[in-house]
Amino acid sequence: MMENKNLIEKLEKVSLPKIEIASHKKRLKLALINEYFREERKGDVFNIVRKLAPLGAIAVVLVALIFNNLIFPKYSIAEAEKIALNDPQVKEWTEKGSVIKDTEIIDNKAYILIQPQKEIQKAAESLKTETSDIKEEFAGALIEVDFKGKKVSKIEKIVPEITSLTEKEQERVKEISTNDPEVNKIIPKEASILKIKTTPPSMKLKREDDSVSVVPESNTDREVKIIYEYNQNQWESKIDLNKEEVKSVNFLGEVPE
Amino acid sequence: MNLDEEKELIKRAKKDPDAFGKIYDEYYSKIFGYTLKRVANIDIAQDITSETFFKAFKNLWKFRWQNIPFSAWLYRIASNETSNFFRKKGRKTISLEGISELISDSNPFAEIAEAQEQLKRHKEFLDLQKKISTLSLKYQEVITLRFFEKKQIKEIGEILGKKEGTIKSLLRRGLDKLRRQINATN
Repeated sequence: MMENKNLIEKLEKVSLPKIEIASHKKRLKLALINEYFREERKGDVFNIVRKLAPLGAIAVVLVALIFNNLIFPKYSIAEAEKIALNDPQVKEWTEKGSVIKDTEIIDNKAYILIQPQKEIQKAAESLKTETSDIKEEFAGALIEVDFKGKKVSKIEKIVPEITSLTEKEQERVKEISTNDPEVNKIIPKEASILKIKTTPPSMKLKREDDSVSVVPESNTDREVKIIYEYNQNQWESKIDLNKEEVKSVNFLGEVPE
Repeated sequence: MNLDEEKELIKRAKKDPDAFGKIYDEYYSKIFGYTLKRVANIDIAQDITSETFFKAFKNLWKFRWQNIPFSAWLYRIASNETSNFFRKKGRKTISLEGISELISDSNPFAEIAEAQEQLKRHKEFLDLQKKISTLSLKYQEVITLRFFEKKQIKEIGEILGKKEGTIKSLLRRGLDKLRRQINATN
């Protein structure tokens, strides 16, 4: 039988792990510093949004309640989403940062569009040990929910259309980035462009009579990333092609030898 | 770093990212070490540490100096996040925004695998931690902070926002429960 003093001695003398994950430390620091710059850019607007956020959340809950109880009294969106989220595959996607973007109900079936939530997904990925191959694997899915069977009856993965930029567009993108004061402040003038990448558009559901299809959001941001490199350091400048302006500038870190 | 230097650095960190980076460098290992000793799992400890610093960063502007070290405030956030983890019994999603991937980066799989192996080698610690994790969260906190983080009663009080007498009493009851738990399984 162990006495209290023996237990205290055991606890005091036990060899403790002294472990550090350098890659996690580095990635988290980068993430926080990037967030720092982002919030600095948002300035006062961010503070106002933060203060109003609770009111916004209440409004969303009220709208959802009215919507679910009055418009779809029989088969509700909430019910459809609950069934979908019980599906192991859908659950896995949501745990990895995907969110429900859109839901349509037709008769006794619901169609749910799920897509990786851009910002959150990137954050989670950058802090975890996934490779870039895994990152680009999942672009979203259309989930069919059968209310009668109370189960997911079909899952179709979405293959996004990524349109490449024309030479003229590429030149315009470079010009927007080069003339941006924030880019000039953060990225050294000597840095060269390593890559120009386009990102897939956000999608939405389009209902036509008795069917549902997945289409790009018409007002979606067309976003392009320019990757710069100098002295083994990399930066990225994100450009909103619709607004023709730089959305953010981030330091990506050092390229390992 | 003494309290005055820390106070000055926190003040600067609200406006200067370099100062914020210094704070991070100073405390990352401590917070990761603490969460690892609470959960004994590398992945979960990484998640909780990320969430802790994210929350600290978001709330830095409202951090008020009350003559308690900044580290106590960080430990408090880490403790709350760990408790949230145990309550929900699930992984959390990190909600930092705007993080970008490196075009090329070292593969951290080997590092994680090595860390897991390293952790496995501390069998006696893992056995004790497993038994501690069966206790109520309030006992887990005080025992881990006292014996694994080597904190004084006063520091634990600052971290958990409780009086020293309460901490002593929690420790006494916690140890008693832990001893009974160990004797029952032996």
